[in-house]
Amino acid sequence: MSDTLIWLVAIPLAGALTTLLLPRIADAVVMAAGLATAIAAGTLLYGVGTQGAMIYEIGGWSAGLGIALRADGLSALLLMMIALVMLPASVYSRTYFSKAAERARFWPLWLLLWTALNALLLSGDLFNLYVTLELLGLGAVALAALGGGRAAVEAALRYLLVGLLGSMMFLAGVSLIYAGYGTLDMTALARIVEPGPVAGTALAMMTAGLLLKSALFPLHFWLPPAHGSAPAPVSAVLSALVVKAAFYLVLRLWLEVFADAVTPAAANLLGVLGAGAVLWGSWRALRAERLKLLAAYSTVAQLGYLFLFFPLLQALPPGPARELAVGGLVLLALTHGFAKAGLFLAIGIVQHHSGHDTIRELDGTAQRLPATTFAMALGGVALIGLPPSGAFLGKWQLLAGAVATGQWLWAAVTLIGSLLAAAYIFRVLGHAFGHQAYPNRAVTVASEEWPALLLTTMAAVVLGLAGAPVWRLLENGL
Amino acid sequence: MNPVSLQLFDVLLLLSIVGLAWASLASPDDRRSVILFMALGLLLALAWGRLLAPDVALAEAAIGAGLSGALLLAALREQPRREAPGATEAVAKRGSSRLQAMTQWVVTLLCAGLAGILGWVLMHIFAGTPLDRLTQAVSANLGVSGVSNPVTAVLLNFRGYDTLLELAVLLTAVLGILALGPGRAGYQPAGPIFDALARSLAPLLILVSAYLLWVGAHAPGGAFQAGATLAAAGVVLRLAGRQRIGLPPEGALRLVMTAGVGLFLAVGLSLLLMGRPFLGYPPAWAGALILVIESAAMLSIAATLVLAFIGGRLPAHGIPAAEPATTRREAITTAAAPERGGEEESGC
Amino acid sequence: MLTAQLLYALTGCLIMALGLRTALLHASLLRRVVAINVMGTGVFMILLAIAYRGPELAPDPVPHALVLTGIVVAVSATALALALARRLNAEHADE
Repeated sequence: MSDTLIWLVAIPLAGALTTLLLPRIADAVVMAAGLATAIAAGTLLYGVGTQGAMIYEIGGWSAGLGIALRADGLSALLLMMIALVMLPASVYSRTYFSKAAERARFWPLWLLLWTALNALLLSGDLFNLYVTLELLGLGAVALAALGGGRAAVEAALRYLLVGLLGSMMFLAGVSLIYAGYGTLDMTALARIVEPGPVAGTALAMMTAGLLLKSALFPLHFWLPPAHGSAPAPVSAVLSALVVKAAFYLVLRLWLEVFADAVTPAAANLLGVLGAGAVLWGSWRALRAERLKLLAAYSTVAQLGYLFLFFPLLQALPPGPARELAVGGLVLLALTHGFAKAGLFLAIGIVQHHSGHDTIRELDGTAQRLPATTFAMALGGVALIGLPPSGAFLGKWQLLAGAVATGQWLWAAVTLIGSLLAAAYIFRVLGHAFGHQAYPNRAVTVASEEWPALLLTTMAAVVLGLAGAPVWRLLENGL
Repeated sequence: MNPVSLQLFDVLLLLSIVGLAWASLASPDDRRSVILFMALGLLLALAWGRLLAPDVALAEAAIGAGLSGALLLAALREQPRREAPGATEAVAKRGSSRLQAMTQWVVTLLCAGLAGILGWVLMHIFAGTPLDRLTQAVSANLGVSGVSNPVTAVLLNFRGYDTLLELAVLLTAVLGILALGPGRAGYQPAGPIFDALARSLAPLLILVSAYLLWVGAHAPGGAFQAGATLAAAGVVLRLAGRQRIGLPPEGALRLVMTAGVGLFLAVGLSLLLMGRPFLGYPPAWAGALILVIESAAMLSIAATLVLAFIGGRLPAHGIPAAEPATTRREAITTAAAPERGGEEESGC
Repeated sequence: MLTAQLLYALTGCLIMALGLRTALLHASLLRRVVAINVMGTGVFMILLAIAYRGPELAPDPVPHALVLTGIVVAVSATALALALARRLNAEHADE
């Protein structure tokens, strides 16, 4: 059963190599590899749910000398989300990249990105995390630059340089840890790390690098151009998954490995930056001219909500209240992943059919592309946090936690952020309805539209109604 | 060498390194900066040797100074030559010069503060009891690792998964480069002296790379150093005006590019399917498996690094790549007969 | 405490800071790439200093392996950055 962990990395990697060697059957290989990875992720989720956290020591060497892969409730859930986002996005990409030559360049990078995401979530070794971060970063940049055109390449280059700066800071932190504690294994470190200058500085360096990669305000400047000019499926994955991976690492480091070394002041700093992200990101989204930029700034804002949880978790003592808060955090992250992916795919469809994604000129999109507009609306529901979306549950926990610990500021920020989100979503929908007659058919191009619909439905409905298992799964981990 | 003169050597070396680094970073001219950077790389190789890290020294010389330098010089070639005195401290943000100066000061102070904190923490760590860290674990298991060079053991056995992913990183970068468009135009055919030099260097480099691969099991060396040296042979030939430098045609080239990651993954999965842990070599076979994996990795690394230097897709066999007029020298060779430097690919 | 170890570690910190400063301040892309490489070199020096255990004892091989990996990753990233810059120049030239 613990073999599943290595299969989750091996399958997409093998798939990437196969698509590179046999480009003619690449489409089929991608689907096969995607399905296999999704099944493996499901198996892992089931395994973690029944048996608890799993460890796999690569090469049979004990963790420390060798590298160990680990999975618990949190990583299993995120791995499932990744698979469930990548699959529909892959289907969408088949239509998006109409020329076989384009697809031949796209698929290997796409599957390598999936490999990087899985490898990052499963890694239990700090230096291995650095390597997976680099793999993720380079893959994301290469995919983002595929859009061609000056804006995309410039944004991709900036993304690369910022990413490299972040990786170097992370590596510096890892070196300090190895110097001070003599091991790179995260489980072992969680036991032996003590509060002090070594742990504090190392954590600060690593967090700084990861904050750059997760685009937390004010280090978010690279995200809107990069996500705004990348091809639609790439933007979807960048916003939904790649920045989430960096956030996951911050969560892991702060709540587990360095749990003893974290101070309330540091947690509050993250909270303040998160609040800035929520307010600034939502404001810029409201003022955005283009749909893709709106979605990108929305990502900045939504990530801010995730960081707002840190001061709460710091203030809550271990117990049921804290577990509820962690569950809310995870649910919010999952919902945003699905919603943003679906939204970007829908925007891609709009761009494809209208030739542009300017919000003011969306007139009549609802009539021309009803299913797509419905998908955007569902995504919007999840982004605002209306019931029954998973985000509603997540934000509820955020508000409850803030009130319970007396940190009213975060509650206020959440409410203002949600209002702003409602404003920018309704603005888009308002422009989307024109004066034409309503069509007879709901779906315009099935293969293009159902992935977006599926993803946003997951976010807006499924995760909210079926959210309870999330808490059960997380009991084993944080 | 007695301790005092060693310390003197250290101080001189470190002063030179810091001086070169600063000169490279602060130079007004990009070209000068790159050349100083390459010199820095060579001094660093010396420093790594002094720190008893010969494997790293070899890699730094071949990859850090050599190939990175070649990549940077090739990139320089495409920039219009700009002598911009005073562009040393050019700030990215536009604004009043007072704001610029303030930003510079703030950033400088922050970086100095960072260096200070890091240095202080490291001093704190080194002042405590000396830790063995993972040295005991490595030497205890070195016997069953299949090789006697501890660095190779760590790279290819204990932490082989890192190396597997790192090969994937290299592949990803090159795929990204290839997706961006056709490669750089070739160079003009070399004059007689350089041509003779290239002709004698290339086979020498190939031999050295084969040796580095073989010797990596029990002495400093290994797949990365060997692959970089092989790539250097390719770069030298390209600089001497050869077009295809013996790289195989499209399909076979993909095979070579993926061979490193592919073989590594295949070995790991085969062991998994046989009931052993992923990448858990049976001690009797470990040495042989590592050599096989390293051979494939060497070829992959060489091919990918050369492709990175070429900067994109290769022209079809025999036809020189066209290049937009931004290159300074019109370096399109006419009807260069495809050079069959075929020995490169036979490796060891 | 080994003086060599400390000396090299502190120099590594200094070089890292120098690289970071130039990467943040300088406008030329090529210079930024060089600066990031120098930053990486600083971190590598710190790692190798950690590995050094004096002239008598064999050094710790794990940081050596880590630095080797780091060097290859750095050159991959450099190559990609330069290729993107080249494409950007080409786009500029077409305007």
